[in-house]
Amino acid sequence: MNGTEDSERELGGDDAVAAEYVLGALGSEERATVARRIDADAAFAQLVDRWEVTLAPMANAYGSVEPPASVKQAIDRRLFSSTAAQTVEKAGIWSSLAFWRGLTVAAFAALALYIALPLVSPPPPATPAERLVASLAPQQSDVHYFVVYDARTKDIGLSHVTGARAPDHDFELWVIDGSQPPQSVGVIPAGSNVHLAVSQDIQQKIASGAVFAISLEPKGGSPTGAPTGPVVAAGDLRDI
Amino acid sequence: MTPQDITKLIVRTSMKDRAAFDLLYRQTSAKLFGVCLRVLNDRTEAEEALQEVFVKIWTKADRFAVSDLSPISWLVAVARNHSIDRIRKRRRPAVDLDEALDVADPAPGPEALAVAGGDRDRIFSCLDELDQDRAAAVRGAYISGESYADLAERYKVPLNTMRTWLRRSLLKLRECLER
Repeated sequence: MNGTEDSERELGGDDAVAAEYVLGALGSEERATVARRIDADAAFAQLVDRWEVTLAPMANAYGSVEPPASVKQAIDRRLFSSTAAQTVEKAGIWSSLAFWRGLTVAAFAALALYIALPLVSPPPPATPAERLVASLAPQQSDVHYFVVYDARTKDIGLSHVTGARAPDHDFELWVIDGSQPPQSVGVIPAGSNVHLAVSQDIQQKIASGAVFAISLEPKGGSPTGAPTGPVVAAGDLRDI
Repeated sequence: MTPQDITKLIVRTSMKDRAAFDLLYRQTSAKLFGVCLRVLNDRTEAEEALQEVFVKIWTKADRFAVSDLSPISWLVAVARNHSIDRIRKRRRPAVDLDEALDVADPAPGPEALAVAGGDRDRIFSCLDELDQDRAAAVRGAYISGESYADLAERYKVPLNTMRTWLRRSLLKLRECLER
């Protein structure tokens, strides 16, 4: 082995495990163990995601090959045939317990209602959905965020898709419940994936079908407690 | 389709929008089938894997929102990880004879000639800074899903040595990319 000083440094700890998982060289049992940890440990999942991002450009080596039409037919049979509910449930548990952990049938029912009744406002959710996704689409701007609200952890995750903030300005996230004045969730931190905590008050508004909006505010947020700048993105589930 | 369009399709899919799922399949299935085929190297198995990959995408699409990956990279990661899980199960007993006889080719494969792109060029130029064998081992693991055991046999080194090689190589690779 090469004994130079430089080559003696190597990755260690969780970072090494995450890197090896993404590289793909681990054996079957080791991969299964790491996969369970990704589901259970958010900080570790982030390490894995970081390595996925680092190594992703190598995937350009994969060419495209058109699959036969029978593949899509088989997927549709598995997901949407008359026994679809049963099949989906089976496939879901088999593929990812963690996904189902965060998602209840009630959440789906509420979701279906949102989609099916786009003009009813606010839609009465049967039970509070545990996890909701919204696309905050641009309003005369190029600012676009995806929002994931998790009712159990009282957390809003924001993924920045496009749109830069103006210098000396911040984006601020608001919830708007019917005709009530917008309530601030907070200034959105810079970054591609950021999180905001959610107060009890705001949780109730989200549960009752409030929409989200993002406004452009002076650095540090609105000085008045109400939006002062232009709304640059807005949306709720029905906008998706 | 722009990355934003694919993002939108993934988010709609997470909300169980079948039309979006169908369009996502039309736009991305050829790329993902390419991934499954390359790793599994068996058409029938790759077709089964692709089915499972899209079932996963349907059920797990909400996970995309918490990833820093670009939408197509996220989809490729789902396909690649699934295909590698599958091939590990298949090969668990031992490295089979065909594989042992498979000619080792540490030279840059056709991937070096693929579509140009800034990130892509960068990672391959960083790979070029590694020893040739080690760069080839990194590619073999990442692109073709070769295991530590496969690679140790190919390069005739103990498994733990291969593990050390790759850990060091990954660290160097990341440092090079972050320079």
